[in-house]
Amino acid sequence: MLSYIFKRFLIAIPLVFGVLTLTFFIIRLAPGDPAAFFIQPGISPNVAEQIRMQYGLNDTVPVQYVKWLANVLQGDFGRSFSRAQQPVFDVIASALPITMTIALLTLVANFTFGILIGVISAIRQNTFLDRFLTVTALFFYSMPEFWFALMMIILFALKLPLFPASGLNEIGAEGFGPVEFVFDRLWHLVLPVTVLSINGAAGIARYVRGSMLEVIRQDYIRTARAKGLPENIVIFKHALRNALLPVITLMGSSLPFIFSGALFIEVIFAFPGMGRVTVEAIFARDYPLIIANTFISGSLIVLGNLFADVLYAVADPRIKL
Amino acid sequence: MAVMNESGTKSAVATYCLACFLLIVVLSSCGRNKGGSGNAGNGGRAMDSTLVIAMLGDADYLNPVLGSTVTSGNIIGLVYPSLLQSEFDTTTGLLNYMALEKKLRDVTPGQGKKTPKGALAKSWRMSGDHKSITYILRHDAFWNDGQPVVSGDFKFSYKLYGNPVIASTRQQYLAELVGADKGQVDFDKAIETPDDTTLVFRFYKPVPEHLALFHTSLTPLPAHQWKNVKPDEFRHSSLNLEPLGAGPYHLKSWKQQQEIVLSSSRKSNLPKPGTIPQITFRVVPDYTVRLAQLQTGAVDVVENIKPEDFTALLRANRQIDVKTVGLRVYDYVGWSNIDQEEYRRSGRVRPHPLFGSARVRLALTQAIDREAIIDGYLKEYGVLCNTDVSPSLKWAYNDRITPHAFDTAKATAMLKAEGWLPGPDGILQKQGRKFSFVLYTNSGNARRNYASVIIQQNLRSIGIDCKLEVEESNVFFENLQQRKLDAWMAGWSIGLEIDPLDVWGSDLKKSRFNFTGYQNPRLDQLCELAKQKMDPTGARPYWLEYQEILHRDQPITFLYWMKETQGFSKRIEGEELNISGTFYNIDDWRLRPSANVAL
Repeated sequence: MLSYIFKRFLIAIPLVFGVLTLTFFIIRLAPGDPAAFFIQPGISPNVAEQIRMQYGLNDTVPVQYVKWLANVLQGDFGRSFSRAQQPVFDVIASALPITMTIALLTLVANFTFGILIGVISAIRQNTFLDRFLTVTALFFYSMPEFWFALMMIILFALKLPLFPASGLNEIGAEGFGPVEFVFDRLWHLVLPVTVLSINGAAGIARYVRGSMLEVIRQDYIRTARAKGLPENIVIFKHALRNALLPVITLMGSSLPFIFSGALFIEVIFAFPGMGRVTVEAIFARDYPLIIANTFISGSLIVLGNLFADVLYAVADPRIKL
Repeated sequence: MAVMNESGTKSAVATYCLACFLLIVVLSSCGRNKGGSGNAGNGGRAMDSTLVIAMLGDADYLNPVLGSTVTSGNIIGLVYPSLLQSEFDTTTGLLNYMALEKKLRDVTPGQGKKTPKGALAKSWRMSGDHKSITYILRHDAFWNDGQPVVSGDFKFSYKLYGNPVIASTRQQYLAELVGADKGQVDFDKAIETPDDTTLVFRFYKPVPEHLALFHTSLTPLPAHQWKNVKPDEFRHSSLNLEPLGAGPYHLKSWKQQQEIVLSSSRKSNLPKPGTIPQITFRVVPDYTVRLAQLQTGAVDVVENIKPEDFTALLRANRQIDVKTVGLRVYDYVGWSNIDQEEYRRSGRVRPHPLFGSARVRLALTQAIDREAIIDGYLKEYGVLCNTDVSPSLKWAYNDRITPHAFDTAKATAMLKAEGWLPGPDGILQKQGRKFSFVLYTNSGNARRNYASVIIQQNLRSIGIDCKLEVEESNVFFENLQQRKLDAWMAGWSIGLEIDPLDVWGSDLKKSRFNFTGYQNPRLDQLCELAKQKMDPTGARPYWLEYQEILHRDQPITFLYWMKETQGFSKRIEGEELNISGTFYNIDDWRLRPSANVAL
């Protein structure tokens, strides 16, 4: 398996590199100017020119590419144009923990509730409970996240002021003790994580239900029941393990989400996460930051797929890598 | 065996949950500001002494040489000292400048609430030939680290403002200093500091006193803190994160893209320590959430509330006040006066086939029901706009101009006289060319969307085919600059000094914002004549004529002025709105102790 993973890594390098090169040219070909912000009445026309010079945008695109390549090969992705010329990885490093907190909480909730609802729907197939869960799941699955988030804020922050509408911490939270601080942080995360996980769990539940229904009709399940195993062992050990294979693909493809962030949720709940970093970078034509973000998400998609393939082999001994 | 497995699974699940929780706790605490040491025991108590201001985006730099966003400007104004204090006199519309012992103008009774105590200058003297200004600085001003604020700080800072490597957005302020006419300010001659409290600026040409005061009062940086920073490292120096000021507040913490916390500077005498102990600027990008937070009392100030939300907001919470100030911002429909394609191709100026004639443009203005847009969207917060001289600048505003009324019959007649006659499909035609064009606007502006739909309907009713297209702001702006748009809808926010040559100047290469290509030598002349007047009020006749010309020629259709509308929690006392900014007297604001706002 190790040599398989090693080979996949080797293939991934030119792939990620190709993605970066494409991004490099596409963003430079797109209309818009990183120095556009400095073209305003009352600001000297020299400023935009000086800024372009600092950013190295006066060179031709192929020259810019060669310079960029030389830097990237030394691990230097440059400094952000729009965020006070911080090194791009500093910008990303400050946004990542926030995005990861939300994403990990969401993924745990997603998979826990998704699998649970899916299994219940499958073993109680065609009962009222199954139909109720299916319709509810579909209802939430089809709801746009930004709208759902705003509705949750209106309901639980405005009409019933139970949770804060935005931000990561209360005003004055710096003075809290560590435990109080973490609880304050979790309290602020309740609404966004609920919005994200209800939406996600509903999708996963649909997958699990379908795959579980297929598995529990198999002969070996009948055999397990026939030899007198308790029903929960049959369902959770024999059936679920096999039914989880498609869910593993989902887990693998969720990996980029952990790092890329959920834009709408970050904007609405005012979290300075990766989603906002990426989108603001695009609007500001912050080329180095866009490329660094592409590098991270591109690498993670490749890694996520590899991770899913490895998990397949772990979950199903029949698959050999 | 089965039992063994089951317990094994359970313990695995328990370990997994524990691991997840620990990871989350660690991750959550990563973002925590370790340097912060508030003395608030809980959120409620902290709110009692903290004013919370919601902002759309974060500050870019808390450095006066670099900061270019509105948020940066607000915070820099509270943290750094300033040479002079300025105040907008609403009765005349003129800016007044104040040093400790001198004022540019006597103020009208009832005006002049701003104290000059925050000024670093004791007084100033303008030379008889208007080519130099000498400031006498006070002795008792100190940076937060105890070092005195001296004239050398200004000279040092002006060199930074003028350094092309630093690329300050305020380098325009140095344009009259000695040497600037030759391309490079000669700092040794232009700024002299004979001693720590004397500061002399020299200009290469006579400069009106109010402009000299405006351009020489850029915010200083402490030279002793910055002197070892090289210009090419200036923009990313770590000192940018630790601003050293002397104003009523100092920076307590800055969590980027989250919040900026300022604390009152107890020792400040410029003018005094801020009355509210702590001010927090919180980034809340979503408008609906900003409104919701104002309603719940989580934030105290929200700027730019849309008129359609006022009623619901005030009904939902009686502890909110909506205040307005203006008029500095207007929307317009821009018509290409010249054939942009021809100009781009050959540099030749020819009238635009549709909008080249002033009469056609006048007909278009009369065909647009501007009152309907105001009534339908802005209501009492909009005022009909005639030219780009704001009614708030009373000393220059021409109140004899009667707005062009909405009159489709007149518009049709004028278009007919210009040769535009209805074709078989009802669309106007002239020599085989249909009166059909695309009106572009930038995305994400509900007001402009609303207005553009009304404009489309209005024009359709007189036989003009107007298609609407919305472009991403960056793309829209680039197309506008490259003269690729024939008609567009946009807006301007005007400065408090009238300086319109950038927008109307006939030299299309020099006037970067003359997107319409309008050219009128008399207008150029009037702007130049007005600039030469040493007293601004002496230029009034020129500005009156300037407005008449714009009103007659209609290079663009001026739509409406908008009042800026800000929402305040009623627990704030003493706030006064001024056209020069929402936070103009924030160091005097107080918070009522009964902080909890009842819903």
